[in-house]
Amino acid sequence: MRPILLQGHERSLTQIKFNREGDLLFSCSKDHVINVWFSHNGERLGTYNGHNGTIWTVDVDPESKFMVSGSADNTLRLWSVQTGKNLFTWEFPTAVKRVDFNDDGTQVVCITEQRMGHQCAIRVFEINRDGDGSDQSPDPIYFFNPIGSKATVCAFTNVPDVIFTGHESGKVALFNLKKEEEMNNNERAHGDTVTDLQLSKDRTYCITSSKDKSARIHDTKTLQVIKTFTTETPLNSASLMPNRPYVLLGGGQEAMSVTTTSLRQGKFETRFWHKIFEEEVGRVKGHFGPINTNLLCFWGEDGFVRVHHFDDSFFKAKPYGDLEIAD
Amino acid sequence: EDAAEESNVSAELIALRKRLVDEWNAWRALRKRELADERGHRAGRRSPSSEDKEEIE
Repeated sequence: MRPILLQGHERSLTQIKFNREGDLLFSCSKDHVINVWFSHNGERLGTYNGHNGTIWTVDVDPESKFMVSGSADNTLRLWSVQTGKNLFTWEFPTAVKRVDFNDDGTQVVCITEQRMGHQCAIRVFEINRDGDGSDQSPDPIYFFNPIGSKATVCAFTNVPDVIFTGHESGKVALFNLKKEEEMNNNERAHGDTVTDLQLSKDRTYCITSSKDKSARIHDTKTLQVIKTFTTETPLNSASLMPNRPYVLLGGGQEAMSVTTTSLRQGKFETRFWHKIFEEEVGRVKGHFGPINTNLLCFWGEDGFVRVHHFDDSFFKAKPYGDLEIAD
Repeated sequence: EDAAEESNVSAELIALRKRLVDEWNAWRALRKRELADERGHRAGRRSPSSEDKEEIE
């Protein structure tokens, strides 16, 4: 399982995302550029230039037509995946930390940072998919400031106008955009900052990771905690493996201490946990990002992306016997 | 070798895992059914802009 190394960023990576088919991989970085790669061979397909600051977050729509990115240059940008053109730019008073497309690519939600007298804000923009995509409204359709602790991650649920949010305090919540109210929350979902969020394909459940060293699966309808995965290091990332009953947890140390410790010392590890039994089943050195059916993707502070392909034996193996587990 | 090791697990553990899988599958089946129903409703109404009916309890 020799990894493919994607070289093309000059500074550390902040987020990576596959498109729906899994053939394209988008990576963003502190080096102000977004790259898109063919995931099967690691060849770079293109670069998206325009941001003037660290790019914190990226997402691609279900048709791989549009991509959005959020940056420390206080902008949210819409891009043509195919041509690399920056189609539209929204400007804010503070950095954009997280973006997410809804299921049909018609809306984008973004979180802007709390800083210098500005509260953390969540905005939703309607995406006009007609024409070349450059005709967008500059105004959000929804805009609100999260209650209490600031939001660190967010995503659309499968219920229109309802988003799931994770917070600095460890809280998770459901927010109804139309009614402008928090519908439900779990203040004690985590004991520390929620660092990552990934929804299941049908968005009926999700996994969160936290600095509190645990990851949890939540029912996105009730916010009930379904599963808990407790590790011994702060977690930066959590991912659901499609079609296999595993979750992947990435972490190792505080971001602050990264500069003082070499990656090679193996502080960053990806842990494979059984999603149902809550048992750790394996570890790989290195950090990771989202995965598709047969790929495991690591990103490192060194600016490289490593893509591992799982071989067939992994998918055929049934280490826990013949129990059929629903996705 | 993982698979071989697993064959030695106790009957209790096998029973526990079976129960966990059954619980998970039952919950998944429920949510999938609900989702299919909700999507059917939305498609039936043909007015994607007026979906304020959705309530999460």
